[in-house]
Amino acid sequence: MRVLLIPGLIFACMFSLLSALSVGAVSLSWGEVWQALSSYDSSILSQKIVVELRLPRTLLAFFAGAGLAIAGLILQTVTRNPLADPYLFGISSGASFGVVLLVALFGVQSALALSGAAFAGSAVAMSLLLLIAFHKGTALVENMLLSGVALTFLFSAFTSLLLYWSDPQAISAIIFWSLGSFSRADWQWLWLPALVVSLGCVLMLLMRRSLNALLVGDESAVTLGVNVHRLRLGMLILASILTAVIVAACGGVGFVGLMIPHIVRFFISQVRTVGMLATALSGGLMMLWVDVLARTLIDNQELPIGVITSAIGSVFFLSLLIAKKRAASI
Amino acid sequence: MTSPQISVHNLSLTLGDKPILSALNFTIARGQFIGLIGPNGAGKSSLLRCLYRYWQPSQGSVRYAGKLVSDYSRRDYARQVAVVLQEIPSQFNLALSEVVAMGVTPHKTLFRAVNADDKQRILEAIERVGLSHKAQQAFDSLSGGEKQRAMIARAMVQQPDLLIMDEPTSHLDVKYQIQIMELAKAMGVTVIASFHDLNLAAALSDELLVLAQGKLMAQGTPLDIITPDLLSDIFGVCAEVETVPGLHSSAPGVPHIRYHYGYQL
Repeated sequence: MRVLLIPGLIFACMFSLLSALSVGAVSLSWGEVWQALSSYDSSILSQKIVVELRLPRTLLAFFAGAGLAIAGLILQTVTRNPLADPYLFGISSGASFGVVLLVALFGVQSALALSGAAFAGSAVAMSLLLLIAFHKGTALVENMLLSGVALTFLFSAFTSLLLYWSDPQAISAIIFWSLGSFSRADWQWLWLPALVVSLGCVLMLLMRRSLNALLVGDESAVTLGVNVHRLRLGMLILASILTAVIVAACGGVGFVGLMIPHIVRFFISQVRTVGMLATALSGGLMMLWVDVLARTLIDNQELPIGVITSAIGSVFFLSLLIAKKRAASI
Repeated sequence: MTSPQISVHNLSLTLGDKPILSALNFTIARGQFIGLIGPNGAGKSSLLRCLYRYWQPSQGSVRYAGKLVSDYSRRDYARQVAVVLQEIPSQFNLALSEVVAMGVTPHKTLFRAVNADDKQRILEAIERVGLSHKAQQAFDSLSGGEKQRAMIARAMVQQPDLLIMDEPTSHLDVKYQIQIMELAKAMGVTVIASFHDLNLAAALSDELLVLAQGKLMAQGTPLDIITPDLLSDIFGVCAEVETVPGLHSSAPGVPHIRYHYGYQL
């Protein structure tokens, strides 16, 4: 069963990718999609839709989902807190603040500038978090979490204040951005999230034994030869960069980082390489379908990604919890 | 003459402004079973933490096999010294076998996977501590004694030359206290363990180290160390000590303490 998990997930991802390319405002057959991918002709409109519009956003959705899922897994591991989430550390609110600052004060609304501002905001939040949590050379898990929560509120306060002073047009642009969307995906910038998420995944797999050792306590990990301080700092930076790049590319997409590692844990242990890979693939898989729903639920209108992930995610998560409890009590 | 396995020279530890350990000097020979005893707050755990390199001494040095412990890389040191801690937090539904398998960590570089030999070693260790039937159970669902046995299995997988145990038997039933210590002894490596139960320490140890208020008060065989005077001076209890046969008939016997109740010292 476990042997089939990863090939099964890879097959599901490929199937979902092709499905995602065929549905949307213009419905295309699998044959048309395949033709566009294998022998692209930019003069044919349907092929242009597949290659220029749908493929980059579908790939972005996959990488964003995979990236947020592994960032969540890493953070839950290094803090030993099952509620840790990439957005708990102020990184996303830093990004929102960057965007709001740009839109409200300078009236800039170009997609590239907003992504840049989001990344800069995340970087500021991440640096502040590291400075506060690590200022005496060691970061206690509690310090890290509390600093993250405090930073989230601090940035949210500034964001709210700026929104309060902004005009309605700017507010609606900001709200659309903060709820997340893959519509800004293009080939020019796709390499960045793809590279960062792939590298993040490889690094996590290479460090898996040290990460696993942390699960039974810092002191125990030290006795197994792990440099706990350096590992935690490195992994926090990795998770922050992953989140910052994804938030900059597609705005705020909540709940995936928290939920996917838990869902995968219901089926397979996270200390196994297979469990870690399954987390990344499941995150990508879920986001592929969230993007499809966002594009197709309402005709001629795109729903914000964040709304769908939170709504579907929480219902799915609760039903899994209930099913698990019921199974345990039988 | 071979150098001692552990040699502690003038070791002091201060946390904040508070002196925890002061000017400790002792050596530990290879193959010995060392019991570390002392009242609450004597600095037993702090001393052990300096020995397994979780804390750096404020002054003085700890040498392992003649080399300063700070000169070992973390991984090298973890290949020599395994530690069984008092309490083991665990989350995320780890299975017992996964916790035991963590013992291979110091033996593996980033790119080396667990091989068939490692897997065999993990299975054997779980079998030696008698937990094969629970290998796939969640670590959190085990009893206190089973958790400690699992941690000893993890230490076995680590293949150390020295095993350090920080009060591994506290909160355990008498049966498990003896079982845990016998498992440790059966590993055939040097053991340094802190104890609250003085009779257990006296019965198992080749040598005892007595700590009080951060100072080393005595070091020697249990028969030499455990005396009514020491028990009243260090532990504040009134007791008499008799000699009972040891584990081996050739041994000169071990001291056994009979506490007197109702005396105010």
